[in-house]
Amino acid sequence: MSDAILDRAPDADAIALDMIRRKNAIWRRLLRDVPALLALTFLILVVLAAILAPWITPADPYANKLVVRFTKPWTVGRDGVFYLLGTDNQGRDMVARLLFGMRSTLTIGVIAVLCGGTVGAVVGLLAAYYRRLETPLMRLVDVLLSFPSILFGLAIAAVLKPGLPSLVLALSIAAVPVIARITRGAATVVMQQEYMEAGRAVGLRDPALIGRYLALNCGSTILIYMTLQLGQIILLGAGLSFLGLGAQAPTAELGSMAADGRKFLTNFPHVATIPATAIFLVVLAFNVVGDALRDVLDPKLRQ
Amino acid sequence: MLRHIAHRLIISVPVLLGVLLIGFLLLQVVPTDPATVLAGPTASQAEIEAIREQMGLNQPLWLQFALYLGRVLQFDLGRSMISNRPVIEEIASTIGPTVELMLACLVWAVPTGITLGTLAARKRGTWLDRLIMAVSVAGVSMPVFWIGLLLIQYVGGAGLLPFQGRGGPIWTFEGLRHIVLPAVTLGLVFIGPVARMTRTSVLDTLGADYVRTARAKGAPEWRVVMRHALRNALIPVVTLIGLQIGFLLGGAVVTETMFAWPGVGRMAVGAISATDFPLAQGAILMLAVAFLAVNLVVDVLYAYLDPRIARS
Repeated sequence: MSDAILDRAPDADAIALDMIRRKNAIWRRLLRDVPALLALTFLILVVLAAILAPWITPADPYANKLVVRFTKPWTVGRDGVFYLLGTDNQGRDMVARLLFGMRSTLTIGVIAVLCGGTVGAVVGLLAAYYRRLETPLMRLVDVLLSFPSILFGLAIAAVLKPGLPSLVLALSIAAVPVIARITRGAATVVMQQEYMEAGRAVGLRDPALIGRYLALNCGSTILIYMTLQLGQIILLGAGLSFLGLGAQAPTAELGSMAADGRKFLTNFPHVATIPATAIFLVVLAFNVVGDALRDVLDPKLRQ
Repeated sequence: MLRHIAHRLIISVPVLLGVLLIGFLLLQVVPTDPATVLAGPTASQAEIEAIREQMGLNQPLWLQFALYLGRVLQFDLGRSMISNRPVIEEIASTIGPTVELMLACLVWAVPTGITLGTLAARKRGTWLDRLIMAVSVAGVSMPVFWIGLLLIQYVGGAGLLPFQGRGGPIWTFEGLRHIVLPAVTLGLVFIGPVARMTRTSVLDTLGADYVRTARAKGAPEWRVVMRHALRNALIPVVTLIGLQIGFLLGGAVVTETMFAWPGVGRMAVGAISATDFPLAQGAILMLAVAFLAVNLVVDVLYAYLDPRIARS
């Protein structure tokens, strides 16, 4: 599912060059985009809620309370407590489940993007630095990019058994190619800068040049694209969890919560639709911010 | 043109080998010993050894891979550990419904996406453009299962359309009724990328010299858009569709599972949950090969639409 990001990958060189040149102008333009700002605010709130989940939760997300099972949202349960989002089939508070579900979903996504992104960044840096490696490495990246991520998910789940480790591994692999491409684009631009030449002239060795000069100067580009990737990775992860190939019950995770709730769809749709809608909104926010950023960064679209 | 096709075919070979290697390794790292499983719980050590010998499990790994390649080339993918039917037979019965579902999705989603994208480009900067773009961003952000859940709940739950299984061939009334919800679910996530790509691409061509020439000649506006701009704009759209086939395949796995659609994706998920390794491996292999084949077709189509590519 990460392939949807493809139409946003091209022109990495131009974007990278531009970013290095005009950081302040970029921020100013971004701050004028109202939907993007709203989405960004929403994301910040969601992330805060996920981090603070153990402290702000109204109930234990794993505590069964069968008396109040299937309480509908915005009603008072049989125990006299008001339930904002209702309860699920085991009487667990949906607000608590949602908070902790978001926490696991985001954590899984962040770990995967960090792991996969790091590998991708190293590949991209090496491809830009050693011209001989460029063709084989980037061919490999192209194959990875075009290959359906869900197949990796299925294959890894088949080998390692469905669960969190195989989910994170599959998502990490899915995060590698886009970051590798972006990094190579940015690093190719940095390679042409005079300080690289200067570094070489004073006798710096390859590892120092790559680590200290190349990587650091591409750092902001890489980090921004890793963040933007998060939306797609979360979407993919939720899909795999929904198929039962990721987080396993009773772990509160949005995708598997939606899958569990599917059984009660006819009578108590909120059990499945609330977590599914939460995923939609978070991914939407990531994409809106990503689009705004791309519009600002891509010189071709700016007129 | 022929050379281009041959070239693309040759490039797919290493990828295919890679896929097969992954498929082979999939069976190697499996924690259970296939010989022990096949022999059954009551088998003696000697019987297990005999089966190991017979299956070639005592050979070096590279030889086993070669033997495995040979078997795959003869369409021998082993037997399902649960139904004991040959994997290839199981796959053969599921590939049809998957192709059917994907085609049913493309048939409505691609024209819709192209229309929306062209409209947005034509009315650039207006509220209509903004609305279409907003809808398409929402489209790429929707989890497939979210759409499915809503459709099952509101359309299926209301008894308007069936949402469980396949109703027969698509040309029958029941078959058509059954495919509507899965095809709509899968198509909704596909419209967004197509619309976006079409919009960008049409905007590009609308600014091209040949469009200005067409306008200068006095061609009517619809003709300028349809004949001159859109036709050239479709080239990147075709590429995108090819690239998105993988994405569609992923969506198909989820859609099939949700709607109990008897396709390869649902079979793969079921086989993994049931730890039926030969079947899982066969299904994943099948999906990968199908993906490569579609990409090849798109490549060729691409070269046909834009002859400059075959020549370079």
